[in-house]
Amino acid sequence: MAAGRVGKHESRMAYLFISPAMFLFFVFMVVPVGMALFISFTNYDVLSRSDWIGLANYERLIGDYIFWVSFKNVLIFTVIYVPAIVILSCLIALLVNQKKPGMKFFRTMYYMPTVTSAVAASTVWLWLLNPEYGLVNELLSYIGIVGPAWLAQTNTALLSIVVITLWMTVGSNMIIYLAGLQGVPDHLYESAKIDGANKVQRFYYVTWPMLKPVTFFVSTMSIIMALQLFDQAYVLTQGGPANSTKTVVYHIYNMGFNQLQMGYASAQAFILAIVLVVFTFVNLKMNRDGANI
Amino acid sequence: MQKVKRLSVLCILVLFVTVVSACGGNNGSTGNTNNSEDSSNPSTENTTGAEKTKVTFWGDWGGEGAKQFETMADAFNASQDKYEVEYVVQEDMITKFLTSSRSGQAPDIMFWDRWRTSLYAPKGVLHPIDDFVTEDGIDQNDFYEEALKELSYKDSLYGLPITVDARALFYNKTLFEEKGLTPPTTWEELRHAARELTVWDGDKLERAGFSFGPWEYNMYHWQAGGEMITEDGQTGFNTEAGKQALQLWDQLLNEDKVYKLGFEQGMGEGTDAFVTGKVAMLNTGPWMISTYKKYGDELDFGVVDMPAGPGGKASVMGGFGLVIPEASQEKEGAWAFLKWWTANPENALLWAKTSFNIPGNKKAEEDPFFQEDPYLKPFLDILDYAQIRPRHPGYSIMETDALIPNLELFLNGDQSIEDALEKAEKQGNDILKNNQLE
Amino acid sequence: MKQLNVVVNATHIPRLARKKVVTNLLFYSVCVLIAIMMTLPFIWSFLTSIRPDREIFQIPMQWIPSQLTIEHYREAFTLVPFGRFFYNSFVIALAGVCLNLLFGSLGGYAFAKLRFRGRTFLFRMLLMAMMIPPVVVFIPQYIVLVHVPLFGGNSILGTGGYGLLNSFWGVILPGASGTFAIFLMRQFFMSLPNDLMEAARIEGCGEFRIYWQLYLPLTKPALATLAIFTFQAGWNNFLWPLIILNDPNKATVQMGLQAFSYNRNTDFGPLMAASCAVMIPIVLIFIYLQKYFMQGIAFSGIKE
Repeated sequence: MAAGRVGKHESRMAYLFISPAMFLFFVFMVVPVGMALFISFTNYDVLSRSDWIGLANYERLIGDYIFWVSFKNVLIFTVIYVPAIVILSCLIALLVNQKKPGMKFFRTMYYMPTVTSAVAASTVWLWLLNPEYGLVNELLSYIGIVGPAWLAQTNTALLSIVVITLWMTVGSNMIIYLAGLQGVPDHLYESAKIDGANKVQRFYYVTWPMLKPVTFFVSTMSIIMALQLFDQAYVLTQGGPANSTKTVVYHIYNMGFNQLQMGYASAQAFILAIVLVVFTFVNLKMNRDGANI
Repeated sequence: MQKVKRLSVLCILVLFVTVVSACGGNNGSTGNTNNSEDSSNPSTENTTGAEKTKVTFWGDWGGEGAKQFETMADAFNASQDKYEVEYVVQEDMITKFLTSSRSGQAPDIMFWDRWRTSLYAPKGVLHPIDDFVTEDGIDQNDFYEEALKELSYKDSLYGLPITVDARALFYNKTLFEEKGLTPPTTWEELRHAARELTVWDGDKLERAGFSFGPWEYNMYHWQAGGEMITEDGQTGFNTEAGKQALQLWDQLLNEDKVYKLGFEQGMGEGTDAFVTGKVAMLNTGPWMISTYKKYGDELDFGVVDMPAGPGGKASVMGGFGLVIPEASQEKEGAWAFLKWWTANPENALLWAKTSFNIPGNKKAEEDPFFQEDPYLKPFLDILDYAQIRPRHPGYSIMETDALIPNLELFLNGDQSIEDALEKAEKQGNDILKNNQLE
Repeated sequence: MKQLNVVVNATHIPRLARKKVVTNLLFYSVCVLIAIMMTLPFIWSFLTSIRPDREIFQIPMQWIPSQLTIEHYREAFTLVPFGRFFYNSFVIALAGVCLNLLFGSLGGYAFAKLRFRGRTFLFRMLLMAMMIPPVVVFIPQYIVLVHVPLFGGNSILGTGGYGLLNSFWGVILPGASGTFAIFLMRQFFMSLPNDLMEAARIEGCGEFRIYWQLYLPLTKPALATLAIFTFQAGWNNFLWPLIILNDPNKATVQMGLQAFSYNRNTDFGPLMAASCAVMIPIVLIFIYLQKYFMQGIAFSGIKE
């Protein structure tokens, strides 16, 4: 009886807690997404018309060569990028979580890529990766390797974009992990120490399990970012060479805003969203404890 | 605990302050919304004491570019007392135009990248100016025919050009003198000069004799005598002309070895290898003149006519115009400004001198400002034969999605000339078909 | 610097300490190496902002300017009214931070700790909304905003006026619906133990007090993280403010940064000067909020 009343009170409070965010979410997200879904069944061009055309946009998509090429690109990107960002940002967070002098300084330095102007970042990266004058190939030449034209060759361009995106995003994921590391209670480490666990074991048995909710967050957000990749590829390679860095959102943007085919663009967006849901589901299965949904 | 409390109090305080100031902003904005309504609906209300009607002018040039536009607006405002033009910079003008036309707000006159006309005019969002043109007896021969063509759809004209540009051959004078060369006038001479100017250090390209890339393909195709899009709306590159153009590239890249893929990446903005003498020749437009003058302290460069291919000389024309949106509330005023700026050679010249652009009005170009400028004069000659990109709403995306990728595969050595052209044709035709207007 | 002294004295100290010095040296070398990689573009942008134009493009890239100048900063700040823009961006970003912290932590707490019907469903919906690429939601969101009832001259049915157009609210509110914030905070609340809540309930503590006084202080690192992210998102937002705000007096810093490229030219000097100035607030906030990562959270008060 008492438990039931508590439960009722609890759920009433819960609705109260979520109501401001859910109200805004409904108005500015659910309604627009519903409209976008409707638009995907029309020939909406933003300016003059929106006639119902049924599944025509989805049918057209099947034969759209560029759409599938860019799909392949972002899938490859995601498969390499997501594990890499999880490992890298966790490692760097561990590095700067030490209680040593100067850590505040290094954390700030590692966060710099996320605040540096995109123009500056792309200028410097283009220079770093230049086949003739770039620092990367210069260094490679010391060990006798003739480096490729990183961004100008079809087989290395996407990989270069992965590396640059890692560079840009590792800072923000680092601080998420850092925040997560503050939540690992010291006494867990101490008891592990008493049990004779070394550093690696302590990480594996104490830290990593405690970080699971954070890892689920980082990996989910990274999957979304990766499959919706746009800016980096647009700024650095404009989708080239030979469509090897063209991304789905780039294509959607092109279709919607440059070609004024918002209906077709929306259809593509929903197909991408479905794939994203699948990826998130797989991620969920891999992070059972951290996710809980 | 104490700290948390203080922090939360601070947080609430800050929230309160921002809410209040945002509210203030909101109140102000209601007023402003009304203002902007007024400005787009000016005939009903006079905003200045001088009884002038307000005309809103949108463009996407900020900073120095905005100042140039304001110079023109000020000169126009001073020249008559009926209209008051106000320039408003919209950094992403096209997106802003798309959204604002959803809410019924539109500028009275707009700075316009001309190639967009073929996509926007059929949607009925631009106002045809034919009536104005006949009424005021504007002589269309004063303007570049190609530029007018680019501003037309079906039989209507939608604006007048304020700038025209074309590509010319830029060359590094110092390097040419060192080798005793004169600027090339044909493809053969181009190859020769490029070969002479290239410097290799083992596997490392020290200096490229000539810079070219797949985005300039249309010019080479035309120089070989081809057509980018045929009369029946199909791509025209899988032809003899296409082969000749790619053969030239093949020779330049693989036989003469005057360039290397990716060479210019990371040298400033793509083409600035020319500033530092790492590239001896390239095709580019008049907009680079000021950049080269500014950054290239030791650069002594010249501009000459395009080298001729087997099909003759060819260059691509581009540039901007002014158009009047259909939703404009003050079309008369917009037209007065448009006419004043473009059809009057003196004002067109003022614009040219302010912005260092070539105006669309041919009469303005008889001025010594152009005729005696060694950098601008060659462009005037080129503009006489330069042509616009095909007016197909799918042209631009066909180029970026079908043509250029296949040319890149060819340049990368991954596919033959024949394969590149055949695949570009097939994929290109698909895209053209999917992006034509019903 | 401290490091160097230690190295100099290394021969005089016992082996165990020497081993420590070696690991420290290794540790800091790695730190410095990564730091260089991470800051190279920033260093370039800063150097570009203080060197004369003619030195900006040189091959190979020159790092040390032969001459220093603050000309680009003067140019940038006279060309664009950045003072006003800073204020506007600040208001937008700060409001975003406050709303996201409040709504995000409330929502995140409820989704993590409280039981209620529809919890799973609603949370999945929140997640799924992030899967739709924002570019296609853009125009619908704009339409919704124009038709918000009773604002900007709109009737109760949302017609007749301009809704939240040209108001800071039009920029702030869509950003405050914070799926990201709820998701992030939920994950952090989930890693906290439940027994705290149960004990408090037995003592008759109200639900809001449990959230506000017991759990919220424990998520300070997460709140700090969220504050940095949302401030940055608000500060860097470009397209949405551009679309919503018509009044040039309401322009934001990111719009101001566009002033240095026009007609296919980019004025690198002033652009880099302005970019460096624009990033200062974010860096300051980052440095300030860092103290919440230092303390190794106050779990000491909690019994396991």
